[in-house]
Amino acid sequence: MKKHFSVLIALVALLAFVAAPVFAQGATEATKAAGPTTIELWYGAAITEAGPPPSDWVGFQIIKDKLNIDLKLTALPSNESDQDVKIQAAAAANNLPDLFMVRRDVLTRLVPQGLIAPVDGLYEKMPVRTATHYDAVSKNHAKFNGKTYGLADPGSIIKNEGLLIRKDWLENLGLSVPTTTDELLNVMRAFTENDPDGNGKNDTWGYGSFQEINNYEAWPGRRLEPIFGAFGVEGTWNMTAANAGLSILKPEFYNAMVYLKKMVDEGVMDPNWLAYKKDDFRAAWKQGRFGIMREQNAAFAAQSNYAPFDKNFPEGEWMIIDPPKGPTGKASVGPYTANFRLYAISAKAAKEGKSEKIAELLEWMASDEGYYLLGWGVEGVNYTKDANGIPVAKNLPNADLAFSAPGGQTVTQLRNMVFYNGDIELYARYPKYITETSKKEMSALVVLRDMQTRTWTPAIGSDTLPIPNADLKRFYEQGLSEFITGKRTLTSENWTKWLDEFKKLGGQDWNDKGVAFAKENNLLN
Amino acid sequence: MPIAIVKKRDRQVIREIKRHKSVYLLLIVPLVYYVIFKYVPIFNGQIAFKDYMALDGVLGSKWIGLTHFKTFISSYYFGELLRNTLMYSVGKLLFSLPLAIILAITIYECNRPHLRKIVQTLSYLPHFLSWVIMYGILLALLAPGDGVLNDIIKLFGGKPIDFLTNTNAFPWIVIFSDAWKEMGWSAIIFIAALMGIDPSLFEAALVEGANSWQRVRYITLPSIRPVILIVVLLRLGTILDAGFNQIFMLYSTPVLSVADIIDTWVYRQGLLEFQFGLATAVGLFKGVIGMFLILGSNKLVKRFGGNSLF
Amino acid sequence: MKKSLFKNKSGYRKVGTASVSIKPTAADHSFNVLVDVFLAVLLVIIAIPLWSTITLSFRPNDYIGNNLQGMFLAPWNWSTSAYKALLGNQGFILSFKNSFLILIGGVASALFLTIPLAYVLSIPSLPGRKYLNMLIIIPYVFNVGMIPSYLLVTNLGLIDKLAAVFLPGAISTYNCLIMRSFFEGIPNELKESARIDGATEIQVLMRVILPLSKAIIMTIGLFYGVSFWNDFFHAMLYLNSNSLQPLPILLRNILMASGMNEYVEVNAFGDAPIAAIKAASVFMSAIPMVIAYPFIQKYFTKGTLLGSVKG
Repeated sequence: MKKHFSVLIALVALLAFVAAPVFAQGATEATKAAGPTTIELWYGAAITEAGPPPSDWVGFQIIKDKLNIDLKLTALPSNESDQDVKIQAAAAANNLPDLFMVRRDVLTRLVPQGLIAPVDGLYEKMPVRTATHYDAVSKNHAKFNGKTYGLADPGSIIKNEGLLIRKDWLENLGLSVPTTTDELLNVMRAFTENDPDGNGKNDTWGYGSFQEINNYEAWPGRRLEPIFGAFGVEGTWNMTAANAGLSILKPEFYNAMVYLKKMVDEGVMDPNWLAYKKDDFRAAWKQGRFGIMREQNAAFAAQSNYAPFDKNFPEGEWMIIDPPKGPTGKASVGPYTANFRLYAISAKAAKEGKSEKIAELLEWMASDEGYYLLGWGVEGVNYTKDANGIPVAKNLPNADLAFSAPGGQTVTQLRNMVFYNGDIELYARYPKYITETSKKEMSALVVLRDMQTRTWTPAIGSDTLPIPNADLKRFYEQGLSEFITGKRTLTSENWTKWLDEFKKLGGQDWNDKGVAFAKENNLLN
Repeated sequence: MPIAIVKKRDRQVIREIKRHKSVYLLLIVPLVYYVIFKYVPIFNGQIAFKDYMALDGVLGSKWIGLTHFKTFISSYYFGELLRNTLMYSVGKLLFSLPLAIILAITIYECNRPHLRKIVQTLSYLPHFLSWVIMYGILLALLAPGDGVLNDIIKLFGGKPIDFLTNTNAFPWIVIFSDAWKEMGWSAIIFIAALMGIDPSLFEAALVEGANSWQRVRYITLPSIRPVILIVVLLRLGTILDAGFNQIFMLYSTPVLSVADIIDTWVYRQGLLEFQFGLATAVGLFKGVIGMFLILGSNKLVKRFGGNSLF
Repeated sequence: MKKSLFKNKSGYRKVGTASVSIKPTAADHSFNVLVDVFLAVLLVIIAIPLWSTITLSFRPNDYIGNNLQGMFLAPWNWSTSAYKALLGNQGFILSFKNSFLILIGGVASALFLTIPLAYVLSIPSLPGRKYLNMLIIIPYVFNVGMIPSYLLVTNLGLIDKLAAVFLPGAISTYNCLIMRSFFEGIPNELKESARIDGATEIQVLMRVILPLSKAIIMTIGLFYGVSFWNDFFHAMLYLNSNSLQPLPILLRNILMASGMNEYVEVNAFGDAPIAAIKAASVFMSAIPMVIAYPFIQKYFTKGTLLGSVKG
């Protein structure tokens, strides 16, 4: 009996011992009104694989001393669906944090619930930040019923992608740069069948892509926009005043589908394209699987991203080309809209009177001190300034802590709250460098400027148009993919029938609502 | 009924309860836990009948009755969702479960200790791989361009098959990969059950001249029948859970028609669109169906003399 | 496992302590061959993708070949950069510690709650047993989903506490009923003899049932352990503080990272290819469980259940 009793006591003791930490609150503690204001910030990490800022990060102390704010940080999950679930669950329990990053689609659902505070009055409290971060388009981006419900910070730079082709493959096969869709098809065929890398193996394809969809670039998504642009049906919406409406309802869309299907049927597109996720696609071009792609400037040309390709193919070289012209002479890399990262303030926080403090915090982030601290770290530890005042990763006592090295990642996780694509940033983020193996001079900034000169289709605000119901969205995407994979035969007749069903299911409604919204908000060009 | 007999029965019941007083004592803590953590959420589940507004809370939201259920059942893809869900659930039950049992028995019966140990150790390892990494493994194996399997097919002169994006192949991939991943882990419980079989039963069988096949048929299998039945019954109760994590990682647009199950639909339509009442309603719908199945099969099991669930 | 009940070298079998010479029949041969073949085939089927993943985790950054060739990459060409990158990750140790706390707290509370419940349900003479069983099964079948549970956890004030990760799942109906099934298999005579000796139910549980149920308790403890160790969803949902994030969150951020990073100009992991990092991270998260299982297997000795009751 005693033995079992002592076992029981031991078990209870173990439970209690474990209970203490497992029931303990998280690292930072909430304090009452007299002390500093606690602000809970759910942020999207700049580099999700790296960890969060350490608990002894100098930023916490500075913010407490200068602004009397106790900042509690929570990193949102790296996956967008997980982010949405976490935010929506907190919303359902009326437990949203004070300041949080949120996607526009989710914000659209939270506003009618009365969970988000309007921010119109805060712009004048943040003069420096508003001047650099918030222009007219930004203020309209999260406007619902006349009030703005989110601070739309600048996201990625516009027009930062381009159509790239393997220059060395063209030279090896004696081909010239394709300028029309027909020429493009021939080049793709040559890349697939004529062993452009000369390794004697049948392991190359013409075009490479993966399904990257968002609410203004519908299936098959961003990577294939140059193809659809050749037919004038790039993007989900046609934003011209003359021809406004869903691209899918335009007759040219069928022609674009026919071309795409040809690409797939002839096997000139990397057959893994339907199965790739973003990582796999990027790994694939670094392994020389295909010769034509649409890629982002930094993902292509930044040092750590280009290095594997450089090592594998020192002779390899990509060049940026104009998007191909279609049968009617149209061409476009794709639609572009201002990209924003939205930050919302919960109604709960506003009721507790925290809006002013939040504005103070954001304004401080836009000041010189906050900008450099959150963007690059501590001067002399994580960066030094060169002759032009651009932060560089040179002359540091501990090179591992440089802002561009893995060691410096944790202290700059909040940088997407301060960056606004200003010149200093671009020079710092995209420095010139010499590649290791082939000794080429590369610069993601040069690549960016080149990409921005090509033909793009303005579609500002197309990402604020009404989104379709989940089932309609599925019908849309599923149908298109079935036409391409051959599950549905792509004939004029089938296409019309499918479109009719689409319209009946709500497609026509969606189209009309979108056009009306665009007209109301002066989004048409 | 004569009052005297009724009173006597009551007295008997009360006596039984008193006799088991200390048993009920044991029950208190788990029961309290159960009420808090299992039944309060069911109480919160009434949002399935309400238009849930976060600021109004569970009790304050407006009652809309069966609207969510009607939305679900009349939605465009309802029939397909049900079909896919059942296809995967039943498919996995008919394929993975027997495999796990066979694996357990063969491990138990194997006479080569090295083979047995290696297989036993390796077989449960796949369970630890998340579906995220499984997708990578399957891609490496099955990708149309350069998957290992397609490389082999090409070697024999065949045309590569797009396993993951082909509506004919996809369901098989789901079922086979689930079996591969879970077979070893599911076998653990059956191995534990086999460990509990009295060895003297086997000795008796040997003496009577039974060969190995007969031994398995007449002794081994019947001895673990109770566990098998429990597992099957429990899985029937959640028949409409077809494996969200797996499908969510593996599916993509081209195979939606055969891949979309109830849970993935709820994820898109319910969770991502803040339609929590709808999501909860679908959960209740699944529960009703599951309840029917459990009650029905429980009766069947009782009739055939097995250990029922209740 | 199976002791020398069958085959010894001379083809004769020892039955119990007697040496009865029973020759294996043709049927026995075919049975054994089939068993061996089945297991061998299974071995190959399981091993190949596992091996493919292992070699993937050791793949150097400049490897060009396809995946089939990757499986045959010689060990001296392997690169440990993926593992180094992971172990050097600052959050790694912290997340390991958090996962450990969740594991211990979780398994302890799970067993503490599940064992008595399973035992009580297994007592055949308990009045109201049928209703109790129904009470247990109903929430299992009627899984109301995420939001009602989230509301409960919020109201209990468990948000942002490690306990929120394991408490809602501390009793798994599935595990409880499996355990009940095992307890039901314990012969009643054992329990009755203890009761006759004047033991209370708690004493019966501890003195009679538990010692006989080591295998099943270890097994169920393992099931709980693995599910808590690997749980990503509840941790993501309920934990906010960066200092409380357990291992699965860290790993998922690595595995699903590319979906979000816009600052693609820096690679948080330096040298290793992202695919290798994903594979390595999965193995690292599996290690504790893989280490624990063989210890638990020790308890799986044949016939531990029986022995105290004869005839």
